[in-house]
Amino acid sequence: MRPVKVMTRPRTARYSYAMEFALDDEQEMIVQTIRRFAERDLRGWAADADRAGAPPERLHSVATELGCFVDAVPAASGGLLDGPYSHTTRALRGFELGRGCAGLAALLETNVEPALAVAAWGTAAAQQAVFASLARGGLASFAHDSRGNLELDEVGGELRVSGKLGPIPALAAASHVLVAARDALFLVATDAIVRQPITPSGWRAGRWATATLEAHRVPAELVLARGEPARAASAEVLSWIRTSLAARAAGVATAAMEHAEAYARDRVQFGQPIGTFEALIRLRDDALTGASAARLMALYAAWAIDTGAATAGDAASRARVHAGDVVARATVDAVQIFGGYGFVNDYPVEKLMRDARAFEALYGDERLGRVLAARAG
Amino acid sequence: MDLFHDNPMLQGVRQMLGAFARQMMRPLAIKHDQEESMPWDLMKAAQGVGMSQTAVLDGRRRLTGIDEDPDPTKPRSQARIAVVASEELAWGCAGIALALGGSSLAASPIARMGTAEQKQEFRKLLTGSDAHGHIKIAAMALSEPGTGSDISGLKTTARPDGSYWIIRGSKQWITNGQSASAYVVWAQTDPAAGRAGVRGFLVARDTPGLIPGKKETKLGIRASETAQVHFEDVRVHSDLLLGGAHGGNGPAGGLADTKKMLDATRPAVGAQAVGIARAAYEYLLERVRGGAVHGTPMASHQHIMFELADMHMEIAASRLLVHRAAWMADHHLDNVAEASTAKAHAARTAQYVTSRAMVLLGEDALEPGHPVEKWYRDAKIYDIFEGTGQIQRRIIARQLTGQNPT
Repeated sequence: MRPVKVMTRPRTARYSYAMEFALDDEQEMIVQTIRRFAERDLRGWAADADRAGAPPERLHSVATELGCFVDAVPAASGGLLDGPYSHTTRALRGFELGRGCAGLAALLETNVEPALAVAAWGTAAAQQAVFASLARGGLASFAHDSRGNLELDEVGGELRVSGKLGPIPALAAASHVLVAARDALFLVATDAIVRQPITPSGWRAGRWATATLEAHRVPAELVLARGEPARAASAEVLSWIRTSLAARAAGVATAAMEHAEAYARDRVQFGQPIGTFEALIRLRDDALTGASAARLMALYAAWAIDTGAATAGDAASRARVHAGDVVARATVDAVQIFGGYGFVNDYPVEKLMRDARAFEALYGDERLGRVLAARAG
Repeated sequence: MDLFHDNPMLQGVRQMLGAFARQMMRPLAIKHDQEESMPWDLMKAAQGVGMSQTAVLDGRRRLTGIDEDPDPTKPRSQARIAVVASEELAWGCAGIALALGGSSLAASPIARMGTAEQKQEFRKLLTGSDAHGHIKIAAMALSEPGTGSDISGLKTTARPDGSYWIIRGSKQWITNGQSASAYVVWAQTDPAAGRAGVRGFLVARDTPGLIPGKKETKLGIRASETAQVHFEDVRVHSDLLLGGAHGGNGPAGGLADTKKMLDATRPAVGAQAVGIARAAYEYLLERVRGGAVHGTPMASHQHIMFELADMHMEIAASRLLVHRAAWMADHHLDNVAEASTAKAHAARTAQYVTSRAMVLLGEDALEPGHPVEKWYRDAKIYDIFEGTGQIQRRIIARQLTGQNPT
């Protein structure tokens, strides 16, 4: 018999550097810091913020020190961004924030899309208005007209908008809302509209609102793009927020199973800790498998955005589809593992089940969006 | 299987309670969900349509005005009436339905195991108004903080003291726990006897040592009250021991009887889950009929319509399972596996339909007070109470092989 010859191939850069899972020092530091913040502060605040339907007053000062709220605002305009924005770092952070509290995380992440969009496509006046507001500690929000319900008219060269915005988080407290609609990406200054603050069942601390616009005049300086450039810009903004949502959803799913696992270790029924029943091991395992995949899909989408890969938009959308499924399933199953205790709000998981919904519903049904995009060809 | 045909009695129940659900329950559902309050006025009004708090003691007569055929070999109709009624009421609002029917959890063991005197005492305890001017209601106290799915490990004890029993222990997740005027409490009378030693007692609210505990804030079914109840050396006369002094593990009294009772109510619990699923499905269908996506009718999209078709299939399957289990019960057939199958399937359907309906409705469903969001929260309990989904599968598995898988 001839000896088997092992083929060896020199490792080329193409194969060895295409995939890199290690964090750089700055990312490592950010993840550690945000993880501590999420586990200690956000989880500590979550139940009260949920009951009150409002964030704790300390949230803003503590999170600002950690670099939230102004991380996407250029340093020259009072923010922290010096150089290109890292969506990968944001996804790493979003996962940890999601583990802490989805409602508070929504506030901590809300400024990113408006700040980056204004920096990329905004007029000098729009940049000045939005950056000044954010640098002063303000909030901005994002709305997506996913079903084409907004009416856009051009009157004398000026954009007029009618229809309903939201429900979306942070709108109740925002100075501006970035709106991605058919053929237009624009800002609405909230002092020019009437908002209805609401407190939904999930992300209750998220300062939600709806707003009904009636032939709202959008000043030319607040229009970021129209026509084909607007469609491209909106797609880019949506890839950012979808990636962030996916990362946060993976965090919520992970947190749900962390709580459930701790409970199942101590709870004894039929003479054994319930966490040792195969059926519950399966629930936990499937949830964590899904959450791991969702986290990696979010990180891949973020990396694709950061590197300008053509697949970024699709990757972000797929990450969001999967993460939405995962967080819905994982939180329902965490309540199941807690049994009767899962159904009452002395324990953390019923809140997570309420929180899960927004990850699928916000900014539109992701699967429907994909179907429509595929048919539009 | 007369549920498939126009059985006039079941049609009548369906129509009457369907109308009650639409006209009386739906308008109140969101308010009581948001306020976490009991629908006391409606509970009083419901007595007029046969839903009195002691209705279970009256059997079939309560809804149909006709008594069961006393011949024990003839099929009954109770279980089928219960599933038809339960679906309609839960379609209106599962929380309110449970508030309307909460007392039946206590009335069932009284009806099944109680002596004529105990039935009389139970009726007496529920006559008139309570201190708040509300109608009087009852609670059954079985679950305990450490005893959820595994009801054999009850810690609450009852020890004899002359012609009295002294009850001590705490109960958890008790429907009507805070507001009840009468309680049926399960306690261990003879630890050496294990399950056979667990017996039920009828206890009046004003008995010293009976202390209602904290009312729970719940994810769903918020119009129904759930609370802890503490029994601190509560003295109960032995006349109020269900099944009588020698009940033991015999035909009346004891935990075995309670488990049979849970088997018997499972189809109706499943039917409630079907009612929630149907409510969400119908709501979505209505929106889809009039809705548009980027100018095209929602109903023209397979993405949406095939999901509705899937929901339709699952709801139909759940309802058939529930009806089969009820039909078997009425025909005196062993329906343990079928009842568990129906309950677990219906619970899954209710969760699936409400969850997907929320996604398809988009951001609108996130608005406070949105009915589908409420139904999503209400649906979850059906996979937990009256035997979790895992317990139902365990029961089914045991029927398949005779073994309890762990």
